[in-house]
Amino acid sequence: MNGQLESFIGLSILLTGFDAVRLRGSGMAEPYLKAIGAVLPPDVVGDLLSAYEQLPPGSERERERVLESEILGDPRLGPVARNLIVLWYCGSWTQLPPAWRAAFGESPLDTNRVISGAAYQAGLQWEAAGGHPPGANPQGYGAWASGPQRSRE
Amino acid sequence: MNRDASYDAVIVGAGVAGALIAKRLTGAGMRVLVLEAGPGTSRSLDGYTQHLETFYAATAKSPESPWPPAVGAPQPDTTSLRNNDGYFVQRGPNLYGSSYTRLWGGSTLHWLGVSLRMLPEDFRMRSRHGVARDWPLDYTALAPYYEKAEREIGVSADVADQHYLGLSFSEGYDYPMRRIPPSYSDRVLGAAVDGMPVTMGDEEIAIRVRSYPAARNSIPRGDYQPVGAVDIGPEGRSGTSNLGERCQGNTSCTPICPVQAKYNAGKSMAQADQRLLTVQVQAVASKVRIDPVTGDVQGIEYKRYEDVGSPVHTTHLATGRVYILAAHATENAKLMLASGLEGPRGQVGRTLMDHPALYAWGMAPLDVGAYRGPQSTSGIEDLRGGAFRARHASFRFDIGNDGWRATTGAPDTAVADAVMKRNLFGPALRAQLETTLPRHVRLSLAVEQLPDPDNRISIDPNYLDAFGNPRPVIDYRIDDYTLAGMAAASDVARAVFRRAGITDCSDPDKGSWFPSAFYQGREFRYHGMGHFAGTHAMGDDPSGSVVNADQRAWEHSNLFLVGSGSFPTMGTSNPTLTLAALALRTADRLVATLAE
Repeated sequence: MNGQLESFIGLSILLTGFDAVRLRGSGMAEPYLKAIGAVLPPDVVGDLLSAYEQLPPGSERERERVLESEILGDPRLGPVARNLIVLWYCGSWTQLPPAWRAAFGESPLDTNRVISGAAYQAGLQWEAAGGHPPGANPQGYGAWASGPQRSRE
Repeated sequence: MNRDASYDAVIVGAGVAGALIAKRLTGAGMRVLVLEAGPGTSRSLDGYTQHLETFYAATAKSPESPWPPAVGAPQPDTTSLRNNDGYFVQRGPNLYGSSYTRLWGGSTLHWLGVSLRMLPEDFRMRSRHGVARDWPLDYTALAPYYEKAEREIGVSADVADQHYLGLSFSEGYDYPMRRIPPSYSDRVLGAAVDGMPVTMGDEEIAIRVRSYPAARNSIPRGDYQPVGAVDIGPEGRSGTSNLGERCQGNTSCTPICPVQAKYNAGKSMAQADQRLLTVQVQAVASKVRIDPVTGDVQGIEYKRYEDVGSPVHTTHLATGRVYILAAHATENAKLMLASGLEGPRGQVGRTLMDHPALYAWGMAPLDVGAYRGPQSTSGIEDLRGGAFRARHASFRFDIGNDGWRATTGAPDTAVADAVMKRNLFGPALRAQLETTLPRHVRLSLAVEQLPDPDNRISIDPNYLDAFGNPRPVIDYRIDDYTLAGMAAASDVARAVFRRAGITDCSDPDKGSWFPSAFYQGREFRYHGMGHFAGTHAMGDDPSGSVVNADQRAWEHSNLFLVGSGSFPTMGTSNPTLTLAALALRTADRLVATLAE
């Protein structure tokens, strides 16, 4: 599990554009790994992480290029990886495309749904927007009157 | 049937109107029973927090999502309104687009908090503009109660911002709390459009971005003490907490303010004298019993249930000296009709109104800081009044701080689009979202609707809920007066966007689905504002109304119907503040009546 988790976070960094500190700090890495394990047919998660582990060492840019062709371009792993991006950004799982379900297996958990209340609150989309999830993590009284201040990495 | 002990007053509905009256009457030493159809889960802070968790985990974050209904107290919800397969039976030709919540606290649990007064001219539509009908009271008569209501529900505004279109305030008056700070995007938009002339028929009207009064806690003036979150203990101990004494900017007024910095009716219930107040939750009023000779109410039958998921119930009778229906414009009418009480000339349930509203959304040239702060803090109010109202509807704009959430479902839909359709990932995906989401601008264009007797709530024995109570049957049409107002509002929204350099992205096909209305070759996708009104309108005499200016039923001397159902017309202001002012006025009359 630990080895899997490391690979899962490594893959998630490349997919989301957010760094390890941010992803670990969300507290969602383990629940998400568990969630995709539960929803996907056996071996898919293992194969996805193996594909990540086999990316060549090198610059981020080079690894992204290979990831795009070998993982995102793969008919079996690509849709799962894209779902993983949406999961990190929105906290929700998206039902896999019909063609994917027909070819690689269906699951009763493969439905459009928010994974959990915590997942909703941890969505990266709110940080990308410079805001916060509605109903959680507010910026405080009057903060909305100030101009947006984004700390770009 | 079980007969309860008798009370001075029996109130149906633990929403804002019922709560304000319960507080006032118990404060005057009266014994009050409140019957609430829905559960009382929002009374404790722990219970309220459960509703917040329900919202967090909900897939569709609709206004009702934190507030699921009981089987015995069904309610409309946004999805079923669109599919027309829910609580309402809609006969068209247009779909009524609004929802409400049946729960202790009522729809104030998920209102936005906008607390505009009606304009003086709104009370005199017939005399002033030659359309619709006049109210039996005018702005001057209601003004003292507006002041009381603004204190009771806790409104934040600076009176200096609020002098327009004839709105006046008593000497030295200011709101109990300072205005909620306008958002950065309000200021950006204001810098671009303030003073912009708009032509309405023969008139040229200068518009500006203006902070609106909001029932959200801000910095108090003088000795005013903001009221925080409700926390009534299981042993009946009443109370409010320090939580929520300031708005934190949760961007979630609708559907749930996590800290209750925004007013909900529970706050007034918590401030009522608990020794004199009895609240029966899970008690659905089903019939108003009338003395056939005098017309007076003898009691109210209600159906009490233990299990929110079950149709099993027992029937009881509540009795008192006076009866106040405060169950909602729809539920009041439904209860009257279910009791065989159609009012003078069959007017109960008729002249149903709303503020049909349009969205306009666009991309600002620079970051405006969307997706933070209260859902909105300012509006454009200058087109709420004017001579053009003889010809078409007036309207107001609400300026969002919540990006395109309501219009397209962004940021979720923006993420899905970028990932699934454009195949973006990693830093490129993040950059794409960071450079677009903070520029999202949304306007809501809420349009006036006049009373039309054919727009109505009725009942039909073929359509019953799980308890055998009738479901509301709705006939609804948006007429040319309102449609022409929609056309004018859309044109102004476009002009505002052009002036501010905002790229207009309004595309109903890319937005959340809403029903269509057609006017002179144009299609409008509208939604409801939740502003149900007019179903038991007040007037000077029974020929054109159900209740008098005190909200007392013409035909039943000990029966009062309160809420926005009493509005003869509704102008463009969100109805809660006005219905609160009317409720406080009626409460004064009730105290005088009961003291006799």
